[in-house]
Amino acid sequence: MIVATGLTRVFGSRAVVDHVTFDVRRSEIVALLGPNGAGKTTTMRMLAGLVAPTSGSVAIDGVALTRGTGSALRARIGFLTEAPGLWDRLTVRENLRTYANIYSLANPERVIDRALDTFGIRDRAATRTAELSKGTRQKVALARALLHEPAILLLDEPTSGLDPEVTRSVRQLLEDRRSAGCAILVSTHNLDEAERLADRVAVLDGRLLALDRPAVLRQRLRTGRVIVRVAGEPAAALAVARGFDPKASVELGSVVLALPHAERDTPGLVRALVAAGAEVVEVRAEIPALEDVYLHLVGDAGAKAS
Amino acid sequence: MTRGRLRALFRKELLDVARNPAALLPVFIIALVALVLPFVIALLLPAMTGQHLGDDRDLLRVSMAAGAHGDLSADALVQYFLFQQFLMVFLLMPITGAMALAAHAIIGEKQARTLEPLLATPVTTAELLVAKVLGALAPTLAISAAGALLYFVAIGMLADPGVLRAMMTLRTWILLGFIAPAVALVSLQAALVVSSRVNDARTAQQFGALVIVPLTILLVAQFSGTLWLSSATLALAGVGLIAVWVLLMLASVSLFDREAILTRWK
Repeated sequence: MIVATGLTRVFGSRAVVDHVTFDVRRSEIVALLGPNGAGKTTTMRMLAGLVAPTSGSVAIDGVALTRGTGSALRARIGFLTEAPGLWDRLTVRENLRTYANIYSLANPERVIDRALDTFGIRDRAATRTAELSKGTRQKVALARALLHEPAILLLDEPTSGLDPEVTRSVRQLLEDRRSAGCAILVSTHNLDEAERLADRVAVLDGRLLALDRPAVLRQRLRTGRVIVRVAGEPAAALAVARGFDPKASVELGSVVLALPHAERDTPGLVRALVAAGAEVVEVRAEIPALEDVYLHLVGDAGAKAS
Repeated sequence: MTRGRLRALFRKELLDVARNPAALLPVFIIALVALVLPFVIALLLPAMTGQHLGDDRDLLRVSMAAGAHGDLSADALVQYFLFQQFLMVFLLMPITGAMALAAHAIIGEKQARTLEPLLATPVTTAELLVAKVLGALAPTLAISAAGALLYFVAIGMLADPGVLRAMMTLRTWILLGFIAPAVALVSLQAALVVSSRVNDARTAQQFGALVIVPLTILLVAQFSGTLWLSSATLALAGVGLIAVWVLLMLASVSLFDREAILTRWK
């Protein structure tokens, strides 16, 4: 488990990361979202002990990450950096072997073979990494990060440059690692990926704007729009709805209206619809997509900052 | 410092150099020149022109000043002098060759963006820097040693009798086997300090060159006889150089700013 408390990093006069507190628990995937320059990479680097926080602290399994403990604690972390960072003149196997030996893995060749098989790149083992495609380089970098089966995974854009099939297999792999008890922090711009994969989502824009389960975050952004689906023609239902919202309309066969106090007003709406003879099939509050929530949060933060 | 991690990094450095022969090209060229030129000057030209080296009184006087070898003929004495002068090239070879590799060591990793994943492992700064130094030193030292061996074999086969024996002194061995690698080590470490503080390889090489100039002058002075130190003094100087290397290593570790390298270098 990794805990960041009041993490702050100032470069010059600018606080790139500003009092960020969160944790990633065992068997959990947390997605770190944020626009470019939001401090995601700096946060990752501070968690990996590569950059020292100006203030605040990082603890791994209860041990504070310091200069003295850094080397030992980094052995528990698998870090996928923004760029694959492979030694171009070395082959895939030689790259992985160097890291396997750095981590003092027992039977490194077997571990490497397993990693190569996991990513389907065994046939490229003897290829120099300079000759690999972007996607394959990313696979090798991922294999390197997972080589020592770390308890904590910090992954900066893990599926960047991968085709959909491989992306799916990487997601499956991360889910498997989560099942195995791994604490995983994934930085991504892919909101769909965050929603599919993450147990919790952290939205960062210098400060931590939100940290919660995707479903809870979506609930937070209430649009106040209510969608009513009725059997047959919606004209009668629309007339009733306009009594609640003069701008009510029909979209894709359903009546859509705005109810600023949906909790209070929806029962009255349903009663009025039934009284007017409408055969109500479904009445639901519109749930925004994670993308809407993200844009709302980041937009709000930007507006406040300016 | 963990031996396993050090070995892993050292192997990686060797593989990287082996796959990039162009990096060692200057060393090979120097070795070739050092192996061919002295024989052309000392043996081939006199044979082609029919003139004896020992007939040149000025050259003979200079040769005699470089060391007293009463049992050598005049020709052999001049040959000894010339071969001794060119031996200096083999001393400078590990320094100049390894400098090019070391100057590029940290900057190259940073530019290829391979440093960040490496620094995210348990590798310590000392392990990284020692591996870099040894990885740069070993190949150039091996080439220099092989070159020097060929040089001596060729002298034994081609030069006048007694020349090789005259060159085979304890002092030569101390200079070749101890002082030269120690000077190379100090120069390398200095280059590495510079490499981890500046952000382009040329600047590192230029700063590194500043460090090796005084050391090179000392070496040249030794062989030319300008500054004549006894074998014992040289051995002591070698120990001193190793101590300087250890101090420089400690300085390198404390000056190596992981964070600045990752965040400020572009």
